[in-house]
Amino acid sequence: MQQSRRRAPRFRMAAVAVALALLATAAMLPGSPVARGDQPIPDGHPPFDAARLAVPVEQAPGGAARPAPVVAPESQQDPCLHCHISGENTGITTEPMRWALAAAAGMVFAFGMFQSATVWRTRRPWTPLTARAVGWLDERYTFTEPLSKLLGKPVPKFAMRWWYCLGGITAFLFGVQAVTGIMLAFYYRPTPEEAYQSILYIQEQVRFGGAVRTIHQWSANGMIVMAIAHMARTFIVGAYKRPRELNWVSGALLLLLTLVFGFTGYLLPWDQRAYWATTVGTEIGGAIPIIGDLTLVMLRVGWDVTAATLSRFYALHVIILPVATLAAMGAHFLMVRRLGIARPL
Amino acid sequence: MTEKAIEKQASEEEETVPFFPVQLMREVRVSFGLLAVVVLVGALWRVFALELGEPADPMVTPAHTKPEWYFLALYQVLKFVPKTAGAVIPVVLVGLLFALPFIDGKPDASRRPTRIRFAVTAVLAVVVVAMTIWGGM
Repeated sequence: MQQSRRRAPRFRMAAVAVALALLATAAMLPGSPVARGDQPIPDGHPPFDAARLAVPVEQAPGGAARPAPVVAPESQQDPCLHCHISGENTGITTEPMRWALAAAAGMVFAFGMFQSATVWRTRRPWTPLTARAVGWLDERYTFTEPLSKLLGKPVPKFAMRWWYCLGGITAFLFGVQAVTGIMLAFYYRPTPEEAYQSILYIQEQVRFGGAVRTIHQWSANGMIVMAIAHMARTFIVGAYKRPRELNWVSGALLLLLTLVFGFTGYLLPWDQRAYWATTVGTEIGGAIPIIGDLTLVMLRVGWDVTAATLSRFYALHVIILPVATLAAMGAHFLMVRRLGIARPL
Repeated sequence: MTEKAIEKQASEEEETVPFFPVQLMREVRVSFGLLAVVVLVGALWRVFALELGEPADPMVTPAHTKPEWYFLALYQVLKFVPKTAGAVIPVVLVGLLFALPFIDGKPDASRRPTRIRFAVTAVLAVVVVAMTIWGGM
């Protein structure tokens, strides 16, 4: 048994690699479906001509001007603005795709050859790459032992009920917010002149932009619902009591941060509703005795909601709040780990 | 209850499962379910998209200003109390929220407090939902 395993080189992998390489070569030949993207798609839109939009006036023989029958002017609007901006209509992605395909096939082929050669040369069964990588890292950072301790931690069975999932769902939705938020930040411009236009651009021109923005909005709502539900569960089972006081405090901080996230994010589209909701909201802050005026000026950066307010809310929303939330989440999770899950009576 | 049954119940309560893979796989499954929902919302974004209003104009005050839905309950309260009280109430509520474990930190001795807290939560939830709907009208 051992003998036969030693003698058998891995031909399967090499065969797959050869097949892939042949496929890639075929794909690169002129006329294949992949290569067809080579030719730039001719731009069918004529240059803009304002005169064409004007309704022509026919001179009647009698001298009186008679408007010609109105014909709908040909559309001047580009149906796919982002195609031009990202260069998609020139087949810009074709060549890198071809190279990536060829390189992948080549790497698989080289790896298969190396594997076969190694097995043949050493007469030892092949050690998977993941095991090698783990061994290499473990030699330097000794992480498998603490990791297995971390993963092997026993969890009480009562914590398998669905209402113990709510905190995890909130954390997951925070992850969704981080990913979609970064995607939106690539295109959003936080100035009063451009904010609204950039939102329109994201929705109508950026690929999947509308979907990403909608996901961002709805996960924000979901995150608040789930955070409140998680808090209600913690309150009902009494999991905030000694020795978990700080766990509750960090959780309350996280809820507060989430609400501030919502408040600052609401202004960013810079539409009428956002502007006036922020005006009213900061006004409420300004009504607090003693520190009211200071709060108002700090929030608005001045006495009115202006470009400076938008900048400040944007900085809060994309830099300060995420960092603070990550720190509080770290503390929150660490405390759950340390103290375990509270046993309900 | 026989002694055996009591013993069995006690041992069941003490039972644990390892974090990996049982608990972790459950979290992963929940995450995948949520991801499916999120992708669905993205795919149907034209249905779910929240409307983008007119561009902001500091010169034109709209007739109705509404905050995000989670501030609606508070917004409704503000309509009935003086402005200063309206600003102080949320600050006090947040303070109370943070101070809760220090006000009531003694571990429970019976199931009674749990039931009381459940009732309090239910009443609060009903009141807040009602205020939110009222504020949204």
